[in-house]
Amino acid sequence: MNDLIKELYQEIILDHGQDPRNFGECNPHNKSADGHNPLCGDNLKLTFFVNQDDIIEDIKFTGEGCAISLASASLMTEKLKGLEISVAEEIFRDFAKLVSGSNDDLKILNEEDSLYALKGVGGFPMRVKCATMAWHAFKEALKN
Amino acid sequence: MIDVQKIRDDFPILNKKILNKKNLIYLDTAASAQKPQVVTDEINSFYSNNYANVSRGVHTLSVESTFKYEDARKRVQKFINAESEREIIFTKSATESINLIANTFAEKHINEGDEIILSVMEHHSNIIPWFLIRDKYKCKILFANIDNDGNINEEHFESLINEKTKLVSITHLSNVFGTITNQKIINLCNNAGIPILLDGCQSAAHIPIDVKALGCDFYVFSGHKLYGPTGIGVLFGKEKLIEKLPPYQGGGGMIADVSTEGATYTDLPAKFEAGTPPLVQAYGLGVAIDYVNKLEMSKISEYELELTKYALNKMQELDFIDIHGENNNKHSIISFNLKKIHSHEVSSYLDVEGIAIRAGHHCCQPLMKQMKLNATARVSFGIYNTIEEIDAFISALKNCRDFFKK
Repeated sequence: MNDLIKELYQEIILDHGQDPRNFGECNPHNKSADGHNPLCGDNLKLTFFVNQDDIIEDIKFTGEGCAISLASASLMTEKLKGLEISVAEEIFRDFAKLVSGSNDDLKILNEEDSLYALKGVGGFPMRVKCATMAWHAFKEALKN
Repeated sequence: MIDVQKIRDDFPILNKKILNKKNLIYLDTAASAQKPQVVTDEINSFYSNNYANVSRGVHTLSVESTFKYEDARKRVQKFINAESEREIIFTKSATESINLIANTFAEKHINEGDEIILSVMEHHSNIIPWFLIRDKYKCKILFANIDNDGNINEEHFESLINEKTKLVSITHLSNVFGTITNQKIINLCNNAGIPILLDGCQSAAHIPIDVKALGCDFYVFSGHKLYGPTGIGVLFGKEKLIEKLPPYQGGGGMIADVSTEGATYTDLPAKFEAGTPPLVQAYGLGVAIDYVNKLEMSKISEYELELTKYALNKMQELDFIDIHGENNNKHSIISFNLKKIHSHEVSSYLDVEGIAIRAGHHCCQPLMKQMKLNATARVSFGIYNTIEEIDAFISALKNCRDFFKK
């Protein structure tokens, strides 16, 4: 077995890929967006509710995709629930760096975070879009 | 008989180690073929020894360049058995070839309410140009259904043909299923007097092509899938049809005379080749055609069919695989999915084993939607692939299933 594959598909990724958490539609929600990966046709719909203090009270997603995109969306929703929007955006910046193969000067994420399990994507540049699809939908929803 | 070991020696890239460890097993020829050394050497030599712009000067180098460029056209003409060199237009890609026909044919022949027939399994490059034409000319695009075995449904296709049908544009060899379009479909168009364009991107590389025997009016293919360079495409069009079409792009090389009042255009094929053409790439394609001719297309085709049948048999023995469009009419291309495992996972897993396959929608989203799939995995074969490579691929599929089953 190749180490790169083990690094990419850590236990937590396979688990969340097969059994994604927060799968469904958030009701009520005041933010939503669709995510697409034009390379493969994978897609998801993200819905969440932001309260008056800018806190993400609840967040869910539905969609179809590979283990990486589903696990990433699942782990993202787990991480973001209860956080302030500005913190969530900082985490996205960290996450984008992490999956591009760099873990230098991460501001918030560290090895204790479950999102850190997606670091292995750095070894597969063509899979970065899988890992960031949910996050791009999150950013898109904030614009709407 | 094909001596595959000897052929492999012609392709330096096959010695590459993937991730510094694994021998490359390249099973993605349908996306693009690898290049024999002679093609890259000749391209290099052209730039080093003979290069200048074509048809522009009377100096020695321009003459040499022009000769090489026009010689490539002759090789293409013979390769697909076109009547005349005037019927061979060089473009930058098969995509540009289709766009050229879509735009010029529509300008001449398409009016509001007219109909163009495609099939559901077309590559996006044989759908989007027609959508753009539909938006501009308010014509209709009709899609022929695909049966579960990956063939165009003949009855449905025939039912779409009527007096409003102006053109049919379909694949000759499906880049998803590997199925070869039935000659009956082409005959139906011929009998109804409807021009038919065949997208030959896959077929040109895998089966002998004779545009006269096929009876197609237009045939397009790209150089890079035929062991040639990128940046070169071919459009074949029957002379009596393309000579009446207006120019596609304006520029140098396609004019007879220009004044401040206007211009007259030159004759075929230059009329459709505005600007400095991809002349070195055209030459490279000519060299690739020579290479293929030396091996003989009929023998290549036979060998690749043998590989395809071997792989198909082995894959059919695996109970964890769904093969798409199952039939005995496949050539060089097999699409499949591992049950409950996304094709991305399969492709990444195989990649670290050194095996390059394609995963995704293969630029065929309408077909994927019909099959209710997001993405499939695809293996495709070329002249350099071996039975041993297919065995390694099958074994890797089993390991992949075991890894993700946990």
